[in-house]
Amino acid sequence: MTTATLLEPRKRSDLLRTVGFVALPLVILVWSFIDLTLGRELVEWIPYLASGFAMNIVISLSAMALGTMVGAIFGILELAPYRLVRYPVVAYVQIFRNAPHLVLIFATTYIFPFEIVIFGNYLPFPDWVKAVIGLAIPASAYVAEITRGAILSIATAQWEAAKGLGFSRGQAMRWIILPQCLRRSLPPWMNVAASITMGTALASLVGVHELLHAATDASTAVRRLDFTIIAYLVVMAAFFMLCYPIARLTRRLERRFNAA
Amino acid sequence: MQDMNLTDLFVSLTDKVGLNYQFLATGYEAQIWRDGFVTTLYLVVLLIPVSLIFGLLFAACLTSGRLWLSAPVRAFVEITRNTPTLVQLMFSFLVLNTFVSNLVGGAQNNPLTPFFWVVAVVGLHIAALHAEAIRAGIEAVPASTVEAARGIGFNQLQILRYVEVPLAFRASLPAIVNNLINLVKLTTVGNAIAVSEITYASIMVWTQRDNVVELMIVILAFFSLINLIVARVGLWVERKLAVPGYGL
Repeated sequence: MTTATLLEPRKRSDLLRTVGFVALPLVILVWSFIDLTLGRELVEWIPYLASGFAMNIVISLSAMALGTMVGAIFGILELAPYRLVRYPVVAYVQIFRNAPHLVLIFATTYIFPFEIVIFGNYLPFPDWVKAVIGLAIPASAYVAEITRGAILSIATAQWEAAKGLGFSRGQAMRWIILPQCLRRSLPPWMNVAASITMGTALASLVGVHELLHAATDASTAVRRLDFTIIAYLVVMAAFFMLCYPIARLTRRLERRFNAA
Repeated sequence: MQDMNLTDLFVSLTDKVGLNYQFLATGYEAQIWRDGFVTTLYLVVLLIPVSLIFGLLFAACLTSGRLWLSAPVRAFVEITRNTPTLVQLMFSFLVLNTFVSNLVGGAQNNPLTPFFWVVAVVGLHIAALHAEAIRAGIEAVPASTVEAARGIGFNQLQILRYVEVPLAFRASLPAIVNNLINLVKLTTVGNAIAVSEITYASIMVWTQRDNVVELMIVILAFFSLINLIVARVGLWVERKLAVPGYGL
């Protein structure tokens, strides 16, 4: 009896969450069927919007890959025993963790040239790559803080034990400390990934052809208020379908790691 | 006069190391840039109380235990947290603003400015994040404390006002300060709908002067400074409010 009453609200909220997950696409679908002219217009524009969203995903994956690599190294360097190494890295992390993503995207877009010369060959330097770098900078700062926090959260006794077993500092870091950090830093890393994914929409402000940009294009081309609404609803639904599962998974992982 | 000399000195000194701040000596562009800083600061000062008030309101709805109150707020919180703020802003500005314009009969009668929409969208976005933090804090208040309050004869609202919120606020303060730092950063989305905050003002300057690096240095320093102040004030409030013996 008691377990049943305990489970009941949980089940109810799970049901609500599932309903919430499909609510936005459902609204779009139902509306397109009620007003078929609108639905036809939307179907026509879906491939264009999808190509925009593919760009969002490409930017976010590349930015996270680059940001994670740099950030993990910087996180380790933040704990380096040499001040000359530590201070510049700490300054980098502090400045770029506090900087708005938009400012960094503007910085990379307007500071970097539109093409680079390598051995006399002109290579184009497209805007979306600049956006990737602009988002990888804050990502690397966040990941550095996460890595640093995870390393510090491991008991110092483990360092001493590793030393006792004859591991050098680097070896202990590589084989004993970092593998344990991986698990602990997964939930906050996923938070960063979600935040960077949502940040990709900012690239539209520097003219990268991504989902928000595509929706603006579509709505100016069609010139119907209801189409504008539905186009932006599609944008919201797309980001929601991508970020909501990440957020749910993060919360579940957090709960499991806290319990363990 | 003194101020003018200082500006000239700064311009000539930075010029020697190869940084172009010459626009500071001109009246018009320097004015735009200064106004940009002021607008950003104004947004921050306005948004902090707005986000806190709505965050508290949302948290109260979320923990009320009444489905008709908590379900809509939960839906709003989830949508806000999981879609980009820029998209919300564009949606509000292009769709909701048009509705309001049609309602009052023409855009010229519409009292809602882009500035209003930035405050509304960013404020409610951060309020949703606050609500999650405060809700977690309210749920962390020991059940025995709430029972004791009920035993003394407090009603639901009084328990929330005098017992749960004071304890929850303290527990969630670190998360709230974190959200406020996000708030400061989010004010830059106003750029998209031509609110003349600092990034918008800077674009005006660097399209004329081609001095992006110089402006970026100042902007990054500016945001670092504001966020440092927010974090410090947060830490100070945290210490000030700390309850001795309450395990936090």
